[in-house]
Amino acid sequence: MANRLLEVSDLEVAYGDVGALWGVSLHVDPGTIVALVGANGAGKTTLLRTVSGLLKPKAGDIRLSGQSLVGKQPQEIARLGIAHVPEGRGLFRQMTVLENLELGAFQPKARPRTKELLEKAYTLFPRLKERAQQKAGSLSGGEQQMLAIARATMSEPSLLILDEPSLGLSPLVVQQMFSLIQTLHGQGVTILLVEQNIHQALKVADYAFVLKTGSLAMQGTGADLIADPEIQKAYMGVLE
Amino acid sequence: MVNLPPPEILLQLSLNGALGGAMYGVAAVGLSLIFGTMRLIFLAQGAMIILAAYFVRALFYGLGIDPFLSLLIVVPVGLVVGWLIYQGLFRKAAAEEDRNVSLLIAVGLMFLVQNLMTVIWGGNTAGVVTSYTASGIELLGVRTSFTRSMGFLIALAGTGLVILFLRKTIVGKAVRAASEDMDAATLMGISPHRVNAIAFAIGISLAGAAGVAVATTFPFNPFAGFIFSLKALVALALGGIGNVTGALAGGILLGLIEAYVQFFISGGWTNAIAYGVFLLVLMFKPEGLFSRPYKKA
Amino acid sequence: MSRASQWIAIVVVAVLALLPFVPGAVDAYYFSFLFFVFLYAVMAQSWNLVAGYGGQISLGSHAFFGLGAYTTAILWSGNYLWGSLYDSHPNIYYFDPVTMLLGGLVAAIAAVVIGLPLLSKLHGDYFALGTLGFGEIVKVIFVNGGDFTGGAFGIVAPASSFGTLRPHYWVGLGLMVATALAIRMLMRSRYGLALIAVRDDEMAASANGIDTLKVKVAAFAGSAFIAGVAGSLYTFYIFHVGPDSVFDLDWMLLPLMMTVVGGTGTILGPILGALVMYAVFDLARIVVPDYHPVISGLTIILAMLFLPKGMMRLSRKARVAGA
Repeated sequence: MANRLLEVSDLEVAYGDVGALWGVSLHVDPGTIVALVGANGAGKTTLLRTVSGLLKPKAGDIRLSGQSLVGKQPQEIARLGIAHVPEGRGLFRQMTVLENLELGAFQPKARPRTKELLEKAYTLFPRLKERAQQKAGSLSGGEQQMLAIARATMSEPSLLILDEPSLGLSPLVVQQMFSLIQTLHGQGVTILLVEQNIHQALKVADYAFVLKTGSLAMQGTGADLIADPEIQKAYMGVLE
Repeated sequence: MVNLPPPEILLQLSLNGALGGAMYGVAAVGLSLIFGTMRLIFLAQGAMIILAAYFVRALFYGLGIDPFLSLLIVVPVGLVVGWLIYQGLFRKAAAEEDRNVSLLIAVGLMFLVQNLMTVIWGGNTAGVVTSYTASGIELLGVRTSFTRSMGFLIALAGTGLVILFLRKTIVGKAVRAASEDMDAATLMGISPHRVNAIAFAIGISLAGAAGVAVATTFPFNPFAGFIFSLKALVALALGGIGNVTGALAGGILLGLIEAYVQFFISGGWTNAIAYGVFLLVLMFKPEGLFSRPYKKA
Repeated sequence: MSRASQWIAIVVVAVLALLPFVPGAVDAYYFSFLFFVFLYAVMAQSWNLVAGYGGQISLGSHAFFGLGAYTTAILWSGNYLWGSLYDSHPNIYYFDPVTMLLGGLVAAIAAVVIGLPLLSKLHGDYFALGTLGFGEIVKVIFVNGGDFTGGAFGIVAPASSFGTLRPHYWVGLGLMVATALAIRMLMRSRYGLALIAVRDDEMAASANGIDTLKVKVAAFAGSAFIAGVAGSLYTFYIFHVGPDSVFDLDWMLLPLMMTVVGGTGTILGPILGALVMYAVFDLARIVVPDYHPVISGLTIILAMLFLPKGMMRLSRKARVAGA
């Protein structure tokens, strides 16, 4: 328990009077990929946005390396080491690729090392170096997703949160995306991944949680869940 | 057939229009910054400009400080005042979802500043008359007012500095990022209050610079600010809300429109036509006349 | 509203209606004070309909107020309505319902004409800016309207013998009560539900088959109608209708402020806001005449800093918390 990087306990979130999450608990251990899966509207994005401070929980606790994040502003949480690539990527479309990356290293911890971090990002994403002076909005969908992830890694986060990275991408680019996730994992980055592409997500995940209409329905290792007949029936039948 | 006036008259009109319009432009740049991060129409901007003009006048008649030299005082003071205005008046409201609240605080501030000026300096029209107020210079073969040309230079320099700040410094880039997507900016560790306060500080210091330009060129009174705010809004819409270069260009364009309407139609219709153009642009080219669309992915 | 508060409202209205019969009341200072509170409350309701319930921040109410005022003054001074009856009945235009309704109608038609393009193209702040520009255009048109509008000076209505404020007071009170009741009924109707749905989520409303443009334009026109009638009433009080007086931005800013202070999207909020804010302004005018606009500005700022949700919302919250 003491070793957990992220620990979410009994989290409740509501939009106005409408409940979205009802007592969800989950955890992410350092160095792992954890997948959070479930149908549309199950509350996955809500959970991620609450972790990074964009939404305020009604009850429950969120701890990063033992420190509570509840009541903290998103910018404070970002500085504590969580990098969140939101649904829709959250790129600054009018700004150049380079400027987006520089802003990824905005926080005081990373800013003095911007140059070094930039070089590191370019080795991982050579495409972005070619396009450094282009506006982010002019990139292709796949490139935009790469940029969003690269920007998030610029702060050397202790936890990288990815919300639907494969959304709207062609199958080939989705493959690249997942191999990139594994590369990052290989470099020791801890990842919390939300995906609708459940099969792929469970394949790369060390551990996974299944959300169903705002509550936790199941959890287990990625391999276990892939083999689970109920999961196969409920979520993968349509996809495979 | 329409009889076109001789070219030197046209040139004179264009020059006067552009020089005057630059002042709307610099006011619009300030509005653009504040609107960018806070989504607030800062209606008190014009009143702040007039306040700065009175301040410049007091420095001149009270302490004998040359109006253009007083830029060195007014601009830094503007930075501090802008910062304080944000922290004292808007910080709390910025966190509210209801943006009427900030709009109304801006309106309240406008009332307050206008009427404080009336109480302190009286409601009559005031001006600053220096040894060079009436002097002219030769520009593009046309004689024009020295102070107006200086006002134009101030507008250009002010806008230029703001653009340098926004493009070359990481904090400036953070301001641009926050203008585009505040949520995404906070995920980068950018504090909304910090960028809002910076936008306000720069906006009000630009109002200070514009105040110098106004004080040296126009007679003014405490209530002249509101029209200035409206004109700045028009300039902003012409240039594209959130586009700083466009805001200056929009101001110059508005100045040109006004000069031509005044000459060819009548002074009485200037405002209606300016606002008509404003409505048409809002409806048919809301991104402004000067935005370069980039290829969509 | 609970049964008890309904009774309280009825009693308050009845007392207000009987007040002119109290000896000396008509000459008392508070009498004209109350008239202005009624007038501002009507304007506040007008703004509340389009902005509070409709979610479309309009900054052009003064234009509609002015249109109503000018319509009345033009009909009256040109005697376009009653022909020879005017000669035998010199007071026929005073509080004439036809004249007042036409004042509202002209404003409403203008709102439809400008609202259709604005509301179909502009959203949020852009709509607010558009209405602000519209207000300025209308003002310039009236300044340049020649003999028809009286130019920069305006029109002086041929006021005859009407030495008392009583009818103004009653009409003002009646208008205030009527608008409040009408909006209350409207908001309980199918249309009201549609308006709220559009405000809360335009996409969802549209997906549910609501013609959002029609709903928004109707609210804008309704709001303009109310403002136009208020402008008409003001003409009977001021007689001299000029561009600087009836197109003054205060006719937009003050009601907006009153509504927000009282509580947007509530029925009693605009009335309460008008009463409290007008009292503050008037008190400042009497106590510190040189500084009163300064105090007004300060009041707005303080109200927004400490009462950002308005008084009605505050009391509702307190009740919920207490229950």
